Amino acid sequence: MDWNCTLTEEALSDFLDGALAPAERAALSAHAAECEVCAQMVERVGGMIRRLHALAPVEEPDYLQARILNVTLGPRSSESVFQRWLGWLGEIGQPRFAMGVVTVVASLAIVLHAVGPSLRTVKAADLAPANVVRRADRGVHLSYARAARFVSDLRVVYEIQSRFASQPEPKTSPSPGPASNPATSEPRDKSRTPPDSTGGGTRGGELAAQVIGYW
Amino acid sequence: MEPDAQLVERCLRGDGPAWEELVRRHARRVYNLCYRFTGNPTAAEDLSQDVFLRVYRTLASYQPAQGAFPTWLARLSRNLLIDHYRRTRRDRLTDSLDDAMPHLEAQNSPAPTPETQALSGELSAQLQQGLARLSPELREAVILRDLQGLEYNEIQMVLQIPEGTVKSRINRGRVELARVLEEMGMRPA
Repeated sequence: MDWNCTLTEEALSDFLDGALAPAERAALSAHAAECEVCAQMVERVGGMIRRLHALAPVEEPDYLQARILNVTLGPRSSESVFQRWLGWLGEIGQPRFAMGVVTVVASLAIVLHAVGPSLRTVKAADLAPANVVRRADRGVHLSYARAARFVSDLRVVYEIQSRFASQPEPKTSPSPGPASNPATSEPRDKSRTPPDSTGGGTRGGELAAQVIGYW
Repeated sequence: MEPDAQLVERCLRGDGPAWEELVRRHARRVYNLCYRFTGNPTAAEDLSQDVFLRVYRTLASYQPAQGAFPTWLARLSRNLLIDHYRRTRRDRLTDSLDDAMPHLEAQNSPAPTPETQALSGELSAQLQQGLARLSPELREAVILRDLQGLEYNEIQMVLQIPEGTVKSRINRGRVELARVLEEMGMRPA
């Protein structure tokens, strides 16, 4: 069969796809063996086709399918809620979040161990609603009583301090010093001093007696 | 796996999950067709969305007896791609397709995608540039045959042209693309 370069170009795809009749295939091969131009063309086009076939598909963007579904089926609220939940759950996997959780749990464990009830002593009866309410009520009242007592004590202390501070200093103080003028130098310490311990304590004792009488 | 034709029937009965499955199954193929034809990821996304929107609206016109669903999908995609090509050609105010296409796509080419970077910006990018220098008729024929893997009769149905013309376009497209790639310094594999 006579063959030429034009026929090679026209039949090239069929030749490379294996769709050429055997006689034509043999003729083209024989021609290409003698024609450098046709041989290069067969090699060039064949190589390119192999490259195209080996080319991996381009991955579409992740959001493309959601975008298509939104314009066809409409916005899907359920999926967005689901995605939000997924996004929230994804934060748990972060090392920073895990470290935070561990720190909080450890802190609570230490605090509960120090001040809270021990889990070992908890009985089933303690979990009854009536007992829980009673304990909570007792705790509230105790806390209130402690706070009221603390405030009351504080008022006594400040009243004593203010009485000491309002007394005029003796003008004939021979040697100024902490012991000679206790009311102005260290009122806190002196407020705790027994009334008959020092000279100034006599006056402090009288004042304390007045304050106690007042209260 | 449930055949496409059954999924289409379910879609026509208003089955949302069936449509989701169709989209999931064919989104990549449609996106690749659009991307290889336009060379522009953003345009490919928009066109893929337009393709599926048109598919959704005209799903009732699909007849399984006339061909496989991917073939029908490719035909719709191709029609939209040609519309897009003509629209952008008018925007460019030029009549010279072969001269304008490389210029246009070089201007519109975004930063390299991860896919092109994965191939060292060489193989895929060069093939994409070479495709962009083909006329749209030759380009679509080569894409459908060598990148989408369609048979000649399927391409004939997609392009709605005689089989002889399909073969001729594929052959000319391959020879032309190989010549362009050689000019770009790409050696055969």
